Amino acid sequence: MRPDTKNFKRGAAKALGNERIQANLLGLYNGFDRARLAAADGTPDWELMREQARAIKAHTIDNLDYYLELAASNVEKAGGTVFFAKDADAAAGYVTDLALARGVKLVIKGKSMVSEEMSLNERLTDAGIEPVETDLGEYIIQLAGETPYHIIAPAIHKSREEVTDLFEAKLNSPRYEEITELAAEARRQLRDKFIRADMGITGANFIVAETGTVALVTNEGNGRMCTSMPRIHVAITGMEKIIPSMDDLGIFLRLLIRSATGQRISSYVTTVTGPRHADDEDGPDEFHLVIVDNGRSRLLADPELRESLYCIRCGACLNACPVYRKVGGHAYGWVYPGPIGAIVTPVMTNLADAKDLPFASSLCGACREACPVKINIPRMLLHLRKEVTEGRKYPTERNRSVLEALAMRLWRLSLSSPAALSIANSVARVLQKPLLRKGRIRWLPPPLSGWTPSRTFPAFVRPFRQRWRG
Amino acid sequence: MADGREQFLRTVRQALGRDQAATPPPKSGEADGESSIRDRASEIQREAEDNADALMSRLHEAATEAGWNVTRVASPAEAADHILRVVQDLEARSIVRSAHDVLDALALDEGMARAGVSMTLAAIGDMATEGQRQEQRASIRESCISADVGLTGVDHAIAETGSVVLLPRRGVSRLVSLLPPVHVAVVRRGQVLPGLDELFALQRLDHIEGDLGSYLNIITGPSRSADIEHTLVTGVHGPGEVHMVLLG
Repeated sequence: MRPDTKNFKRGAAKALGNERIQANLLGLYNGFDRARLAAADGTPDWELMREQARAIKAHTIDNLDYYLELAASNVEKAGGTVFFAKDADAAAGYVTDLALARGVKLVIKGKSMVSEEMSLNERLTDAGIEPVETDLGEYIIQLAGETPYHIIAPAIHKSREEVTDLFEAKLNSPRYEEITELAAEARRQLRDKFIRADMGITGANFIVAETGTVALVTNEGNGRMCTSMPRIHVAITGMEKIIPSMDDLGIFLRLLIRSATGQRISSYVTTVTGPRHADDEDGPDEFHLVIVDNGRSRLLADPELRESLYCIRCGACLNACPVYRKVGGHAYGWVYPGPIGAIVTPVMTNLADAKDLPFASSLCGACREACPVKINIPRMLLHLRKEVTEGRKYPTERNRSVLEALAMRLWRLSLSSPAALSIANSVARVLQKPLLRKGRIRWLPPPLSGWTPSRTFPAFVRPFRQRWRG
Repeated sequence: MADGREQFLRTVRQALGRDQAATPPPKSGEADGESSIRDRASEIQREAEDNADALMSRLHEAATEAGWNVTRVASPAEAADHILRVVQDLEARSIVRSAHDVLDALALDEGMARAGVSMTLAAIGDMATEGQRQEQRASIRESCISADVGLTGVDHAIAETGSVVLLPRRGVSRLVSLLPPVHVAVVRRGQVLPGLDELFALQRLDHIEGDLGSYLNIITGPSRSADIEHTLVTGVHGPGEVHMVLLG
């Protein structure tokens, strides 16, 4: 997916002006977020589990080189193949070349956000291979030619009427009114694909280093299909998804699933260790694990941002975020929206383009509260805001204009003493006169114009002290 | 294609601020020696036996919550009667079943034949040559695609989550519990574990003994989706209706 992170404000305004999308986004709050809280309440030792998981993640990420090698060697011992991809392009190239080399015509895909980073469907299509998304939400998105709106519920912005229109236009299906009928149509359409596919591609929710095992969480059963039906299974994963031991899997599955949907467990949890054994009844002949960096090493290298790699992609911070719930997923312009997206997207793509994202937060801290591994998202947002304006670490991506810097210096000067403040106030009261409408400033000239397109500014008035003294 | 592994790992090491591979002190259970993994596994198995009744009751409750139709029966004959009733209520014409021992003990063949239901065993013969295996594999697949009901035993069940666990075994296809629109799982007394942690502890035992299977499936209720308007629908790709028979 090509980043389109420059247009946050325009995307946000579009979502805000769309009543139907606002109603669907409210569903995230009433659905996922409340379910998460109920599930956490119903889990003994929830807080302790969060602490433990955070500690395990911190340890694994601090020793990521060691665990990557361990995981890779164990996947290989189990008969699988591992490919390390430095970026999205290398990963997409590996998968496409493999498909071509094996004569693959049809690929079925489980939900994988990393494959969205890679624009994998586009690459496969260009190579003459048909990729089919099989998660219901992703299937809808693929038919619509759109990108996911939410990492757990990709089509959450679409109403049933829109899905009905889409199925009629793309699949020639009757005008179904019930969601059960729409789901049944998708089942029929995709069943045939599952049977005919030569390759199944999935993401990986966790990779267990000590055994080389990939764990997959799904509700629909498409993950099981992708790992059971075709002759080749390829799992694609970001390099941060590693946990050390099978012993850690229970904790992480509970935290992930209960934070994502509030279920005690998803309908299916599937673990895969290598391809099928010689005496298994069925299963793929080949198993490939593609481990992707694609900018994650930049997050790793910055001590201030390293903990963003603890993320287990549950989506809880999106559902909890008052900004995400209003501006929706597309405004963020890349694969990962919401509070965690506002951190990883700028660093993985380009901070100068995505400069608005770290500011798309009121720093209320709901994301940090919701995060099952207690990632301090507000702290990192502040850090990135500082980078955007001062650009110490990413100097080529510094974004503050000379005028803005000057304005900030004047601001600081005016606050440095009561006398300075009084003078600044007097000057401002004179300068504001042509701008005042009904006691508010409704428009400011550049470089201050960013203040006023969506809100008014209170007028400067005589200080209370002066008025009181008469 | 050239594998960029060395360069990849070097980048990671540089990001971590070191130039040599380091072996970290183990943090979690990975430190456990083989004997402690064995001890823990036998303790888990003992407790599953000792607390079999209580665990069965907890499973019953959690599985019901998770969307299974749960029935507890006292004998194999009762289990067979119940399964036959389920199949007849569904007006199913064909069943595909795995080769789990617990199903052999139910002696379902005669009852199914009388009810006019064809039952196929989805298993590769022990003596099959590689060529025959390929053929049988294809025919297992066809049976699972067309069957109305898939019937399996289980390797474990989990009281915490209301789940059954299926592992690769001779005579157990992954597809029996996946492709047919209805799945019936038979859980024996003594197979119920308290929670996920116990399941993964047993997997670790399999791992150190070189017996770790190529997959593990934890199945909890019907296939579901809430991808359209947050509205729950069942039977999206996997079975939309699931039955759990608790035996003993």
